[in-house]
Amino acid sequence: MIRFEKVTKSYAGPDKPALNQVTINVDKGEFVFLVGASGSGKSTALRLLLREMRPTTGRVYVAGKEINRLATWKVPRLRRQIGTVFQDFRLLQNKNVSENVAFALQVIGRSGRDIKRTVPETLELVGLSGKATRMPEELSGGEQQRVAIARAMVNHPMILIADEPTGNLDPATSVGIMKLLDRINATGTTVLMATHDHGVVDQMRKRVIELDHGRVVRDEATGVYGFQH
Amino acid sequence: MQLRHVSTNLRQGLRRNASMHLAVILTLFVSLSLAGIGLMMSKQADLTVDVIGSELQIQVVLCLPDDPQNASCTSEVTEEQKSAIATAIDDNPEVADFAFESKAESLEKLKALLGPEQFEGPDPVFTVEDAPQAVRITLKDPNDFDGTVDAVANLDGVSYITLAKDEVKPIFTLIDVLQYSSWGAAAALLLASILLVANTIRLTALARRKEIEIMRLVGASRIFIALPFLLEALVTALIGVALAVGAVAAFTQFALIGGLSEVVRALPFIGWAEWAETSLVLVVVAPILTVVPTLLLTRKYLRL
Repeated sequence: MIRFEKVTKSYAGPDKPALNQVTINVDKGEFVFLVGASGSGKSTALRLLLREMRPTTGRVYVAGKEINRLATWKVPRLRRQIGTVFQDFRLLQNKNVSENVAFALQVIGRSGRDIKRTVPETLELVGLSGKATRMPEELSGGEQQRVAIARAMVNHPMILIADEPTGNLDPATSVGIMKLLDRINATGTTVLMATHDHGVVDQMRKRVIELDHGRVVRDEATGVYGFQH
Repeated sequence: MQLRHVSTNLRQGLRRNASMHLAVILTLFVSLSLAGIGLMMSKQADLTVDVIGSELQIQVVLCLPDDPQNASCTSEVTEEQKSAIATAIDDNPEVADFAFESKAESLEKLKALLGPEQFEGPDPVFTVEDAPQAVRITLKDPNDFDGTVDAVANLDGVSYITLAKDEVKPIFTLIDVLQYSSWGAAAALLLASILLVANTIRLTALARRKEIEIMRLVGASRIFIALPFLLEALVTALIGVALAVGAVAAFTQFALIGGLSEVVRALPFIGWAEWAETSLVLVVVAPILTVVPTLLLTRKYLRL
């Protein structure tokens, strides 16, 4: 589903490359944690997947397609297959919960009937059925992140990318969000989650890929955050 | 849904930056009006050239019987005299081109100059018999005419010579001044309106950056993201054009048709046909002027 093949990404300047000869292979339906300190290259990897930029050398594949060769006008189509969730939720404050989720469908040209049917289903999936008309500011952090997840999932993407989704949440709320991501993964969606959060990684016992200074230093099928001793 | 989304965004965008859009519309209006007037002026110059000759021309008016302009003319110019005149002109290195004008053609030009009233009715003031034949000489350089005048002036059959340069110069100078000053002012204002369009887009992109970021992430197409911006540019352009077309129409009616052409009867003036052509140019040019910078800048600010 996702494949990095000897990917190197250097930014302008004298610094070492953000990613250095990284090779990663994620199968369909996997749940993968991408861990490592700040500046280890996690965000760079996620941005390469979304074709926010291209690798300096090497290849990135999504669903068998080499996306660094993708024509610019085809990039939106790629992004429709990938849902994205961030630490800061990125909700539109002037739209309510339902409108925030519907927005993702409106802007890719889905019909009104389609949207009316899909949005409530998705809100139910994330456990926000009763809060469709609430404004983001009326919600807790965990609820806001659920809205963001609903927005990412409403178009049924094959891949869900989560960049520090629990970074702004307390441990108890984080557990709820992780359970939700696990449930989404169980329906066949590939989940790739970059995180600093030891607790959630250790608790989930999923595959862990650790990056350090742009290199893969560990790839374990059922890992924890730090090295196992 | 898609249409509604776009139209809602367009309305919001127009409202959000109402003062900026008003500034764009007003500068577009003034600059396009000036450009339109400049265009009308160049059409006026063309028309004047057609009728009274460009400043490169010399008109050699040939003899009529009992010529009122030249007592030495006793009869209509003969064919021999005409061929002698043609040879003299042809041999002159200052001449680029020349053509004979028949009495009928000459009469038509008189009509255009004086208005048709004096040529109509059972006993018109002017008839084809009163119109002199002529030779229109086009010079290579409007300042080199002495040789031609000398060579032709004393030939038999020549009544008198007019240098279009002298007659036309002040008119063309006036038209040129009007034309170039309105174009100059129009160019400066068009630049101002393009900069205003650019600023408006920057403001809107800033105000909507979160929304645009999400649109990019969920895979909205580039055209879908840029469409509200393009439509905003198009709407302001069309309002600006409508106002400018009206202003040029007012200019045509009050300055030309009901103004100068009433006062300066010796010159023909352009009218509604030229206004229509000018309006067409403005209608095509204005949207390009706002939409092209919008396309370029949305690429820059929206990272499309």
